[in-house]
Amino acid sequence: MTGFYEAVHARPDGESTVRRCVEHAASLGYEGVVVRNHGDARADVDVDAVADAVGIDVVDGLEVRANSPEQASGYVGNYRPKYTVLLVHGGTNEMNRFAVEQDRVDVLAHPMRGDGDFNHVLAKAAAEHGVRVEFDLSGVLRATGGRRVQALGDLRKLRELVEYYDVPYVVSVDGTSHRHLRGPRALAAVGERIGFSREQVEDGLREWGHLVARNREVTSPDYVEPGVRRGRYRDRPDTDGNRSVTDGDDSGA
Amino acid sequence: MKHLPKHLRPKWRYVAVALETDPEVSLSRGAFQRELWYAAQNLLGDAVSADADGTVVRFQFGNGDGSAVVRARRGHVEDLRAALACIETVDDATVAVTVRGVSGTIRACEEKFIPAGTERPDRREVAFANGRRRAIVRGDRVAVDVDGERAYATSEDVE
Repeated sequence: MTGFYEAVHARPDGESTVRRCVEHAASLGYEGVVVRNHGDARADVDVDAVADAVGIDVVDGLEVRANSPEQASGYVGNYRPKYTVLLVHGGTNEMNRFAVEQDRVDVLAHPMRGDGDFNHVLAKAAAEHGVRVEFDLSGVLRATGGRRVQALGDLRKLRELVEYYDVPYVVSVDGTSHRHLRGPRALAAVGERIGFSREQVEDGLREWGHLVARNREVTSPDYVEPGVRRGRYRDRPDTDGNRSVTDGDDSGA
Repeated sequence: MKHLPKHLRPKWRYVAVALETDPEVSLSRGAFQRELWYAAQNLLGDAVSADADGTVVRFQFGNGDGSAVVRARRGHVEDLRAALACIETVDDATVAVTVRGVSGTIRACEEKFIPAGTERPDRREVAFANGRRRAIVRGDRVAVDVDGERAYATSEDVE
């Protein structure tokens, strides 16, 4: 089973370097970290080197932030082939709408932030296009007073829609510092107090890992289509239901 | 007042908490206690906060690293865990609050989960973000001053 993953903004988008975030996440019990810097503040770090050094998975992600769907569409086209996980910075109705209708987008980040809202139309679209909706816990962990009450109300609304339409989702604290990270058990405990079930929070943290595994498989050179890969069946270490395609290269055609 | 017979005393659990913040910050028990009770009251409300307790019974802090033992009524450890997660700042310093473990006695809690001593900070210049910059180094952890802002890195980042 995949372990828990968390997604963070590292330097220059946040105040901590990728390595510092990853080391802290590892000490909290995470098995992976998705770097989710915004497109205008990308971290040029060799994530594989950090992963090897620290011993947990580190994933190159990117959060597309744009003023309009047209602009975002260009960014998505640009960045999709280069990054393993592609998020769209939600928080306005146009951008939320844009993100949930794109098969190329993995995650709609914090849809309820600012003026953003979510409804049944977007929920159905997200489920249809396989776009994960993010439950952003930053409003619970790092806001106070009225803003926090609003964030809790928004989370509730989003949760009800996600449950009803069976929308895929991820959970994150949307941290901009390694100090914003909290362990999986702490997040599950917080989730339970605000109306989530333990399993929901844990599934949301694991979903990052599923997403990463799927995207890595799809972009691997052996991949043909779901369930079909190049190469001989018996040579595969993980022969779980994958048919082989015996064509082309090795017969010398 | 005469203390209660044993079977009527509350059953406590002791939660070991690790704190991490900037190396030059020093925090007091009182400040941490206040933030914890605020966090508990805001998240859980007065009723559950009173049930959960949340008294800080041991506290040590130095050079930006610290640890505390927080008392929770048995059965309310998860409430307290949630409240602890909601502490963002203590005395305006952003802190990483991590639960290390839970024990049935203060002594077991300290012996199992509270590390002895803290890493001594060392001020020196490091190469980071295209320049030589002032930094405070604690073991693997490096806090660098970058143009008036703080950046947090590891010793690997500043070679």
